[in-house]
Amino acid sequence: MDAAIYLLAGLFLPLFPLSMAFNLLLRRLRRPAPRTLLLLAWPQIGLALAATAASPPPDWLLYWALLTSALYAFRALTLRELGLWNGFIASSLWALLWLTLARPGAVPPALHGLGLSLPLALLGLLGAGLEQRFGAAYAGLHGGLAQRLPRLSGVLVVVVLAVIAMPLFPPFFTLLTLTLATAAAAPAMALALVAVWLLWSWAAARLLQGLVVGPGDRHGAADLSRTATWAYAAVLGLLAGAGLYLLGGLA
Amino acid sequence: MSLSLGQRLRIRAMTYVAGEPIPFFWPMRAFIHHNPLHGLEHLPFEEAVAQGARLFHCRCQLPRRQYQAYLAAGRIDRDRLQAAVTAFAAGREPIAGIDLQAWLMALLTRIEQPVTATDALAGPAGIAAALAGTRPAPEADIDPTVLAGRLRSTLLGETPVYEAVDALYGTGIGDELDELVIKSCLDFFDEGQSVWGMPLRSRGFFAAWREVASRNVRLFLRGMHIKRILAVDETPEGVIDHVMRTLGVAEQHWSAYFTRELARLHGWAGFIRWRSSARHYHWSQRYPGDLVDLLAVRLTLALALLQERGRRFGVTSAPAVRELIETRTPEAWLRHELHTGRILPDQAQRVEETLALGGARRITAVFGEYVRRQRTREAERQAQSLRLLAGQAGATQALQRLDTGQLEALVRSLREFERREGMLWLRAMEAHAMHRLLSGIQLAPPPPRDKRPFAQALFCIDTRSERIRRHLESVGDYQTFGIAGFFGVPVSFMELGKGSETHLCPVLLTPKNLALEMSVEAPRDLNAVTAMEKALHELKESVLSPFVTVEAIGLLFGFDMIGKTLLPRHYNRWRSQLHEHKPPTHLLIDKLDRDQADSIVRAVQRAVIVKAVEQDFELTAERITDDMVRELREAALGRQPGAPELARTLGLDTAAEQAFIRRLREVYRIDPAFARLQLERLARIGFSLDEQTGFVSQALRSIGLTRDFSRFILLVGHGSTSENNPYESALDCGACGGNHGLVNARVLAQMANKPEVRRRLRARGIDIAEDAWFIPALHNTTTDALELHDLDRLPSSHVVYLDRLRNGLTAASRLCARERLPELQPRRGRQAAQQAPAAAFRETRRNAMDWSQVRPEWGLSRNAYFVIGRRDLTRELALQGRAFLHSYDYRLDPKRRLLENILTGPLVVGQWINMEHYFSTVDNECFGSGSKVYHNVAGRFGVMTGNLSDLRTGLPAQTVLEQGRPYHQPVRLITLIEAPFEHARRAVEDVTAIKHLVRNGWIRLLVIDPGTAAVTLYDDGEWREQTRLTQPPIPEEST
Repeated sequence: MDAAIYLLAGLFLPLFPLSMAFNLLLRRLRRPAPRTLLLLAWPQIGLALAATAASPPPDWLLYWALLTSALYAFRALTLRELGLWNGFIASSLWALLWLTLARPGAVPPALHGLGLSLPLALLGLLGAGLEQRFGAAYAGLHGGLAQRLPRLSGVLVVVVLAVIAMPLFPPFFTLLTLTLATAAAAPAMALALVAVWLLWSWAAARLLQGLVVGPGDRHGAADLSRTATWAYAAVLGLLAGAGLYLLGGLA
Repeated sequence: MSLSLGQRLRIRAMTYVAGEPIPFFWPMRAFIHHNPLHGLEHLPFEEAVAQGARLFHCRCQLPRRQYQAYLAAGRIDRDRLQAAVTAFAAGREPIAGIDLQAWLMALLTRIEQPVTATDALAGPAGIAAALAGTRPAPEADIDPTVLAGRLRSTLLGETPVYEAVDALYGTGIGDELDELVIKSCLDFFDEGQSVWGMPLRSRGFFAAWREVASRNVRLFLRGMHIKRILAVDETPEGVIDHVMRTLGVAEQHWSAYFTRELARLHGWAGFIRWRSSARHYHWSQRYPGDLVDLLAVRLTLALALLQERGRRFGVTSAPAVRELIETRTPEAWLRHELHTGRILPDQAQRVEETLALGGARRITAVFGEYVRRQRTREAERQAQSLRLLAGQAGATQALQRLDTGQLEALVRSLREFERREGMLWLRAMEAHAMHRLLSGIQLAPPPPRDKRPFAQALFCIDTRSERIRRHLESVGDYQTFGIAGFFGVPVSFMELGKGSETHLCPVLLTPKNLALEMSVEAPRDLNAVTAMEKALHELKESVLSPFVTVEAIGLLFGFDMIGKTLLPRHYNRWRSQLHEHKPPTHLLIDKLDRDQADSIVRAVQRAVIVKAVEQDFELTAERITDDMVRELREAALGRQPGAPELARTLGLDTAAEQAFIRRLREVYRIDPAFARLQLERLARIGFSLDEQTGFVSQALRSIGLTRDFSRFILLVGHGSTSENNPYESALDCGACGGNHGLVNARVLAQMANKPEVRRRLRARGIDIAEDAWFIPALHNTTTDALELHDLDRLPSSHVVYLDRLRNGLTAASRLCARERLPELQPRRGRQAAQQAPAAAFRETRRNAMDWSQVRPEWGLSRNAYFVIGRRDLTRELALQGRAFLHSYDYRLDPKRRLLENILTGPLVVGQWINMEHYFSTVDNECFGSGSKVYHNVAGRFGVMTGNLSDLRTGLPAQTVLEQGRPYHQPVRLITLIEAPFEHARRAVEDVTAIKHLVRNGWIRLLVIDPGTAAVTLYDDGEWREQTRLTQPPIPEEST
């Protein structure tokens, strides 16, 4: 029974090839609201399903999850479309939630899931903004966003850093907790985890290089409004604060 | 494989021709302003900029919105613009219901972005449907052969094969190739920046690189089989031939192909091109390298990269690219769209996935849909632009009524107009600038003087002199003249303590005479601070010591940094006191006669022999007698068999005595041949009396100063001072080869003060007053300070007037600083300028010492005019440092020789400066050198952006732009000659270089006839009388 539950949960806490369902769905959704909802709710469904299982996930499932995470992180290296990149990184991040289920700590897995999803949702909104301005959020096509849309670029860079688990943001504490928890029991797995983390950074650097840096024309599309910029900054500040407080152990 | 001599020469000649459009790049130690399109000056300006834009992938005119800003600011002649639009509209076929003129004016003045696209697929029917808001009638599918044709013209022929592969597969070979070539160039052309040099450099660029590259494990491990390519031939020509044949490029395209290759890194190519032509250049003599070498290196690496990367796709040659285009056109089109960034954004992911999945049917289906979307999108975009334009032209209804044919004609006219609009704007802006100049011209001669001026000052024609001259004239009884900053004396200079010569003249000239600087003080030992700095420098240069040095004395540098940053003026003043100051010097400018030269050679030989005896035999000075030295010298020169006194003193046998004599010949170069060489070199020192008289006479005549000499005649050279600025020499005197102009001023002053020269000048009709004294001076253009030199030679009778002179100069400096500062530092400058001129002057000095200052001065930015005529013409006109002013009085030049000299030298230099500023402004990233903030010195001769880039050739953004917008107003040099029309016209026609520049529109030439007050402009291939000034012409007796 548990195996069936876990397999079903594997749709939502993506395990390759079940993960393809999420990515297909994400591609189909063109409007920002349902996309945001999907990014926030999808792993929570998986976590809720997994919670109904009587036993913790078996080890083979954890390796499968780790492999899935590595696969999507690796594939993200070559992706240029921001929406797709977001989906692949989401698959890579959420797959690691299996580890939190296997080694539960003080923080409930649902909170970890939310912490991972929130920056992804923000990135989804920014991607929609780019699509609205340029027709697509595709790295290497426009370039030079830092010069053309400095506010949007600034927010984009911070959000991408948040997504790939840079310090202070919730995903960082989730990854730190997982790595520390795994290091003692399965050092090889911890090492693999760190390698995946590194892959995200690499993929993010490539994406940002194609979108943000380079020469750009200052005229054309409108930049993010000051209000929107402050709103994003406030959300990011809240995220950082919440990450520190709830996931970082300050609570 | 081995090429015949003929084949090798053919490739050399082809490379030479291919390199012609690449402008020279001189080492930055002596920055030379140049026209980036110098190689295209044989073409009319309009054609050249179009070709330059294609070749260098740069923009050659400002974007429309910038011209619109100029129009709004009143810097563009609207009437002239309107007239040009009218003329254009008149030449087009009329379209019923369309007032083309109104449309075009609306386009120019109210629309920021271009409204038409080149290479659009959308047809008029599609645009008409988009305008009507209906679904377009299904147009016939685009014939793939049309698309194949477009691809062929873009990707084949002269296009480098790797560029085609990059455009089709996104392989990034071009960028990587550039990187590898830059690294190779940095290794080979380094001039002492690297601690470890590349081996075998004396064998030449290609040969040295070949040796290193054949052993480069890193390249081998990456799968680049350089060795295999290089094994084909040892010569660079052989390798070029092999690579081009392997790439399958048809031979008729080779020359253009080479140009494209060289233009990719035009900074490096320009440097190598200059270097190989500079025979006197030390580094070129030691480590030779030319464009053929560069091309061989580049093509070898290109082929290796192509074979490594292109193998995956099976496309590594031009025929393979052609086959792909012709047999798989849909795939090639989609690939090209995707990898060149032209793709419709929302289709990018789909196309990328389709191409990754492959399959002809799938690709063809996506291609068909993509092209349809592309046409629709283009039609919609075009319709939107037209609607916007029609709205601005007040003709929305008229647009709706157009049929397909009319719409097509309208779009065609707009496209053609947009192609030519840059020139329209430029000419209208120039018309405004000409009007401004002419409206301030004073033709009337000044009232006669009852006494001579207190002082006369000859300044460089440099635009920065205009301000200081104006202020100097305003503070007292000063008369100023403009002359090329080398004062007409091309001289090679050997500075005290340096072993190399510096050419102080425009780069167009090669000086024949050498001036030596000699100290009038006894030699001194290095002081402690200088010695410590030298030691520190050596510690920094070595490989390992910096690790220890940082730990040990790093803190000292911290103090230095704090001082330079927080208190630059005080700290630098204190620091300069620690250094040993240059001793007072004199220049050796007189020719040596035969006896003097012999005597110097003899003295040098004797000194060398004394040193040799001291070193080889450890003999003390008191034991080395004159007789001993004389005998040794005679023996070494073969005039006597031995040196008995030395043998006697040291107890040498004959063999040892002869061995030492041989050593004197072979090691210490005491032999007749070397003595002759020394005599030849000595013959270059100084100027003969005839030459000196000639130079002084020519300098004075060329500016019209032949009588009424003042007590003081200042010869003011100029230079700049700034900290931490690789572009410092760009701010120095261009007429002195990018050096300070003081030495030339000292040379001419020394000549002109010589009684014998004055006696000869008197015989030539130039009577310099007995009490007139020429004083060299330096105008520091960063601080505006005017500093007098060689005052130790000033007659005592003049000392009493020195205070008045100095006060006048100081006042002019301060006023000039006050005028200039608000433009330099809008906020701080305005504050300082409001206080007092002295405060502004202090601020400019701070600027010169601040190591964080990226813009110590604006330099020659905003240059626009070159005026050849009397000072009185522009004396009442504040030209705000925008004009080169060359004094000239045609009445002293009946044969036009002086005018021809001005046109040949100073005007050409002025045109180079003007074009450098023009192109650096219109596209600073491409023709300029971008922001200084990211610059790093490369090889001690240039700068790169970041740690690896092409050599940055033009002017930095901080010199021509202000907050991203042009500070320099890019117009062609507006040259005004004051002379009778025929006089000026014939002078221009007689100087071939200037004739071509004027005819091809690189210079806008105006002639103002002082007799008739008529102003004539050379425009559109003919002389046209523009206007007649309303002021009274100069009366006959004055002329």
